[in-house]
Amino acid sequence: MKPLKIAMMSMTHGHTRKYYQTLMDNPKLDWVAVATANDEVKEIFLNSVKGIPCYDSELEMLDAHPEIEAVVLASENSEHLRQMKLCAERGIHILSMKIPTFDMEEYDEMIKLVDENNLVCQIELEMHYNPVIARLKELVKNGEIGKIKSFNATNITLSPVWAFPWQGVPEKSYGKRVSIKEGDSRFRGGALCDHPHIFDMIRHMTGSDFESIYAEVAPNIRPDIEEEDMLSVIGRMKDGTIFSLDPSWSKMEERLKVPGPGWEVFPKRMEVNITLNGEKGTIMTDCFGPNVYHNGCPNDRYTVQYTYFDEWIGLIDEFVDNIRNNKTPLINLKWHKKTIEAMNAVYESISTGKAVKL
Amino acid sequence: MNKLQEKLNFLLEKYSVDVKAVLKNEKTVVIDGKVIPLLSHRCERRFLELKNIVNNGTLVGISVMRVARIVEKGTDIYEELYRELDICQYVLQRKIKSIMVMENDNVLNSIATTEDDIVCTIEISATLACGEIPKDKHEIISQRGIACDVVVDAQLKQDSVYVFGSENKKYTDVDFELYGLSIEEIAIVRAAFGIAQNKNYDEMTAIDANLLKLVDMAKKSAKSGEREVM
Repeated sequence: MKPLKIAMMSMTHGHTRKYYQTLMDNPKLDWVAVATANDEVKEIFLNSVKGIPCYDSELEMLDAHPEIEAVVLASENSEHLRQMKLCAERGIHILSMKIPTFDMEEYDEMIKLVDENNLVCQIELEMHYNPVIARLKELVKNGEIGKIKSFNATNITLSPVWAFPWQGVPEKSYGKRVSIKEGDSRFRGGALCDHPHIFDMIRHMTGSDFESIYAEVAPNIRPDIEEEDMLSVIGRMKDGTIFSLDPSWSKMEERLKVPGPGWEVFPKRMEVNITLNGEKGTIMTDCFGPNVYHNGCPNDRYTVQYTYFDEWIGLIDEFVDNIRNNKTPLINLKWHKKTIEAMNAVYESISTGKAVKL
Repeated sequence: MNKLQEKLNFLLEKYSVDVKAVLKNEKTVVIDGKVIPLLSHRCERRFLELKNIVNNGTLVGISVMRVARIVEKGTDIYEELYRELDICQYVLQRKIKSIMVMENDNVLNSIATTEDDIVCTIEISATLACGEIPKDKHEIISQRGIACDVVVDAQLKQDSVYVFGSENKKYTDVDFELYGLSIEEIAIVRAAFGIAQNKNYDEMTAIDANLLKLVDMAKKSAKSGEREVM
């Protein structure tokens, strides 16, 4: 198979560095170039990867490399539609970050762009390429616990806003500045916007869609950021399954400009745990483990060192296969739309204090 | 219950508490003819320590309390909710003002808020096989630190002793004075003894009444699909 000529744009997204190794190692890819959004991310990129042409402008890169077949939009949410247009008019396939947009008119415009130009647009929900999730899907499919009655999950991390500042800016993360609720000084765009995975995974596990959602925002554990960092969500799927989802930034961090050793204040920087309660029993799942532990440099703090973080290998393999064999991505724009609608319903419930019917 | 009554009698005699205390069942003690609700979970040391951590300045700026509890099939999920609501109020030392519940047969999920807007999430399921010990986790998240009764990066609690022989066994012994009893049994005896010693009958009855009201609100919420406010 001819290697796919791929590029990256912006390099401002927190997942940018996850692609470095895969794009270098995967024999199905030919990493052609990157375009960086600013000098800061350009410097980080140049310090991390050697030998890949780096441009200051997306247009400059696209004009210089008409051979580019696909682009990873490693950008803030507010840039996605504009960049998708740039790609669509050149017939370039798209790997979008996990939130294409929260604006449903923009979202429909994206779907139209992709359909009209016959493009592959895959959404980066990397949990589908996690081996624990693969096991969980298999157990559910084999009826190990019978029909699922409740799906309870955490998707909790430290806050990335110090390293990736756009995530702390409501206009760039949520797309506009909207008060979280009356009388509250915070705005939409925080932890929820960082954690769509469990809203997506429940739809895959149950084969059902959201019926109602209720959410509460808690006092921030970082009072100096202007978006929500702690929230809780419960609700019901159309098949009766109830759920409890925690998409918070509940693990405290050092305020590093570049993520690296010593980022953690709480020993564990990230957790995706899923508990499924079914007719015939319960499955408890920790998607990232077993791990190793240390209390060494730089802060002498007890720290969880993860042992597996390779989801991007499977994700890229699927992306190449979709393009080369004209397949529809598992997580495509149309599928993902209902996940985004559910996340918007979380904000609506927080604002109104009522359960939202979907 | 005889074994627990014997241990209770032992404590009453040892500490010269001159009342007649009879364990009616795991949730009730009769003291000098008065029927008093037992909130035995309050006597599990983990909750006392979590309460101290939350309220003695170790944690600062409480935001959320997260609770998950999985118990045997056939258990009343609202009795479990009663227990967990009390643990939240006890550990946080705050009153719950609102509650929203989603229920599906033998599972329920709930979000409650306190008077100062701390959010409590409570996930309960009665899905375990008969005889399986409950699995639970209680976690409090604040601006300065997290407190939890499960170790970091683990899904289940550890035991104190593991025996790998012809038959694998495990033990968790937490009370020298009441050696031989399980954590839950110890809590029942300690709770009954505490009430007998402190004679705080009215306080326990009032707490029970508040919890029954909260559970009633929870049931209403599960039926209506709307948040209930105290």
